[in-house]
Amino acid sequence: MTVVETRRRSASHDPSPAPANVTPVIVSKNLTVGYKLHRERKKLTALRDINLTINRGEFIVLVGPSGCGKTTFINAISGLVEPWEGSIEVNGQPVVGPGPDRAMVFQDYALMPWRTVESNIRMPFELQKLGLSKEEMDERVRHYIDLVELTGFEKSFPYELSGGMKQRVGIARALVTEPDILLADEPFAAIDAMTREAMQSELERFVAKTGQTVVFITHSIDEAITLGDRIVVVSHRPGQIKEVVDVDLPRPRFDYDVKLLPEYSKLRDHIWHLVKDEALRGAHGEEG
Amino acid sequence: MSISDAEKVASVNDTTDPNRIEITKWSLTEIWERYGSWAVTAINLTCFFIIWELFARSGAINPLFLPTASGMFSALWEGFTTTAPPGAVISGSIRDHLFYSLTNLSIGLGIACIIGIPAGLLMGGSKYVETTLSPYVWALASLPRIALVPLFILFLGFTVKMQITIIVLSAVFPIIINAWAGVKTTEKSLLAAAKVFGASRRELYMKVVLPYTLPFIISGIQQGIGRGLIGVVIAEIFGGSKGLGYLITRAADTFNSSLMYAVLFLLVVVSLSLIQITRSLEAYVAPWRRVNKV
Repeated sequence: MTVVETRRRSASHDPSPAPANVTPVIVSKNLTVGYKLHRERKKLTALRDINLTINRGEFIVLVGPSGCGKTTFINAISGLVEPWEGSIEVNGQPVVGPGPDRAMVFQDYALMPWRTVESNIRMPFELQKLGLSKEEMDERVRHYIDLVELTGFEKSFPYELSGGMKQRVGIARALVTEPDILLADEPFAAIDAMTREAMQSELERFVAKTGQTVVFITHSIDEAITLGDRIVVVSHRPGQIKEVVDVDLPRPRFDYDVKLLPEYSKLRDHIWHLVKDEALRGAHGEEG
Repeated sequence: MSISDAEKVASVNDTTDPNRIEITKWSLTEIWERYGSWAVTAINLTCFFIIWELFARSGAINPLFLPTASGMFSALWEGFTTTAPPGAVISGSIRDHLFYSLTNLSIGLGIACIIGIPAGLLMGGSKYVETTLSPYVWALASLPRIALVPLFILFLGFTVKMQITIIVLSAVFPIIINAWAGVKTTEKSLLAAAKVFGASRRELYMKVVLPYTLPFIISGIQQGIGRGLIGVVIAEIFGGSKGLGYLITRAADTFNSSLMYAVLFLLVVVSLSLIQITRSLEAYVAPWRRVNKV
């Protein structure tokens, strides 16, 4: 499967010498991981033999059919699940549990309902010792509340906010510790279409400012092309990398209206064919 | 950017824009919407007591069984304004008995909380504790508590200890079961979020599980109050010479139907007020649940 990863890249670039400014941040080698179903005495492989190198500052988007193990990959990076075989390394160190260099944005926001916006965003500081003074932490919290445009809502509770605003709290909470890596598990899936587009452009803007490496899961091909530097198409379970697609579209993509470019529709078509086959396999597999 | 601005304006809580809020005058419909249900309840209850009064006065039912509503209220008034003369062995004053019952209830509920909350939390938190304790909890929770009264009278006699034991046994199980369920149903994504941001096992409990479970514990206490009140009355009816339960039996024995109805009415009022207090407490500590419920 190592070949697959570089297939498309090699079509356009010379694969062997990496550019000097590219440093690998996440390296997954022959990663196989899954879940134990205790009751049925079964082990379910979610991902098999994943080889992927993610470089600093890259925006990687994972697409694939439901239940193909995209979330498991993100969980392996975050340290919530352990690899069965192979390895996953972050900044050269094998992952052994969560760490302050990684943060996550969740599909259902996962905000503590008893905490205010400000207190939710401050929570990572309470759980991790980053050696910041109280003033520095206050400053950071204020800065990220400003960045996600929630100034004036510091004392609001999550239940008082709309879905888009809740997710902005989620994003601010993930950015506040300024982690190297931002993991996002379908963060905009539960948000209405109009707000989603606005949020996508905002996320592109935040990340352009902070320079994080992002691993982003989505079901939407449009979202994938709008956000990703590279799109990883994952096959039906057990998930394997089917193809890695480069997205050479200008940024910021919202300002350039990339949807109108001919390359966009070509990419969209290409990815749609890859995903469609897998989704159909999944649908038939589940029926049978 | 215009979309995100529009979204902000659409938020219910945005009070930053003064032009958005307009103070309107009270219209009759608004007043009715706000206070109408209170008025209806007041009229409803007044009618109920008037019909009761007329029915009782008509003589269709023996006044030994059904006093007039006014008789009940005057018994209530008398019971509250008088106390037993100094040195009296048994008081006929409602006030003394109410005080006695409420004291026992609060002691019993306090003990039930001290036992029930940690037990429930431990059962939710540890599989071993859960497996070990759950058969006993379910067995005792499903056993009608009244069946245990003769046993405790045998063990402890007609004492306050016996009465409080009954109250504790009545109130403790809803508290245990609710706390247990609260820990068990803590949202997985909240736990995952806390773990990703570096929470230790201890912090997971202190910063996620416990706040999440708090409203469950309060509704457990709310159910515990209801059960505890039953426990109080049962314990006093079966084995006591004090308290509202005892006063009911004594009123019945002396054919004092006004007093008996007064005590029953008082029990309703006490029970409703206690439940209302815990409801407001729940709304205070967990406003997000109040919003979800509506």
